[in-house]
Amino acid sequence: MSPVVAEYWGVLGKGLMTTLWISWLALILGGLIGAIVGTARTSPWRAVRLCALVYTELFRSIPPLLLFFGGFFGLKYMTGIDLSPFTAATLALTVVASSFMSEVIRAGLMSVGRGQWDAALSAGMRTRQVLRYIVWPQAIRVMLPPSVGVYIATLKDSSLASVIGYVELTKAGLLIRETTGVSFEVFLIVAALYFVINYGISCGGAVLERKFHFVH
Amino acid sequence: MYEFSLRAISSYLGLLPGAVVVTLWLSILTILLSTVVGIIGVLCRVSRLLALRFVGTAYVEVLRNIPLLVVIYLVFFGLAQLGLLVNGFNSALIALTLNAGAYMTEIFRGGLVAIPRGQYEAARSQGMTAAQLYRYIVFPQVFRIIYAPLGNLFIGIVIGSSLASVIGVEELATWMHLVGDQSFRYLEVFLVAALVYVGLAQGINVVRLATGHVLLRSAPGGGHR
Repeated sequence: MSPVVAEYWGVLGKGLMTTLWISWLALILGGLIGAIVGTARTSPWRAVRLCALVYTELFRSIPPLLLFFGGFFGLKYMTGIDLSPFTAATLALTVVASSFMSEVIRAGLMSVGRGQWDAALSAGMRTRQVLRYIVWPQAIRVMLPPSVGVYIATLKDSSLASVIGYVELTKAGLLIRETTGVSFEVFLIVAALYFVINYGISCGGAVLERKFHFVH
Repeated sequence: MYEFSLRAISSYLGLLPGAVVVTLWLSILTILLSTVVGIIGVLCRVSRLLALRFVGTAYVEVLRNIPLLVVIYLVFFGLAQLGLLVNGFNSALIALTLNAGAYMTEIFRGGLVAIPRGQYEAARSQGMTAAQLYRYIVFPQVFRIIYAPLGNLFIGIVIGSSLASVIGVEELATWMHLVGDQSFRYLEVFLVAALVYVGLAQGINVVRLATGHVLLRSAPGGGHR
């Protein structure tokens, strides 16, 4: 490896931390929105189900790159609010993560059988109580393993924040490239860092899956 | 106050069809090439040779865990370093194919491993040749399993092709970026570009649903699944 690159380990390390942080933030925020949308997908009212479906499909069909640009420049020119790259990137990532999480959460909720709903309701529970005490505690075990997949996807999508100038791992690589003129080695290291992190997370996810393996 | 006006970008709409064609062409070529890569990949993954299985698994795991954007930069800068003059479009095509090929491999593998061993033995003991076995027993069942994830992958490829814009390929996302920069009408161009992508993605979705409908009807036992 070229010795030039070795001087920049600190920059890469900082970029990596930023990548981990922003994707974690987007996963949490996306999980909260996804919980609302995912619950709406199982609603007894057709109109609510339809709205939630449109949300999920829409943000899965628009390339994340467009959301980053749209959030950053579109909102800027439209409202005059100067979003920081961090805010715009978090917004775009959250929207993407929430559409994936809504699918995961819907599948989790649907995995709890109709019979349990009937039993709980006939025992005099309210809808909210059924969700709180019967459905969610079981559904969350089904949701955990695929959530790991969503985290990895979000982590990979966070690389797009580089296009609006947010300095995460990929942007750090681009900056080092501009400074040193070394291209290929820098991106080989960047790729290796992404791989190690994501592969580690997916191995952790496999352990989680075995631990939480659960049949209703 | 910002006034939404599509008329403000009307003079740039003439450039839109050309950009959409590049997006489509890049996506179609990626689908075709990654199918070839996927077939080679799955042959490695189910091979009897440990070395080939390792290569197949390593390929899939590495490419699935690296962002497509980083793969695009790697290919673009890497080829330049090797002294090969490859333009943006071809670099993007190589990167997209490497990325999609890994997912294709996994989809094919998922379909193949779902067919129980006993069916191979049963078919062979009935006197079927290997070709007949695959043509009449294995492939029809594999196709029923893989058409849905394949549709998802195709949508992912169209969406992923937008990243080619970072290395200067003049496709749909580049159109949005250039026109937005020139006209300061980012919201309008964003909506137009998003609409085209949603249209393409949902078009693939409709074909996928229709395929499922036809497959279900033609399934032995007629649609009990």
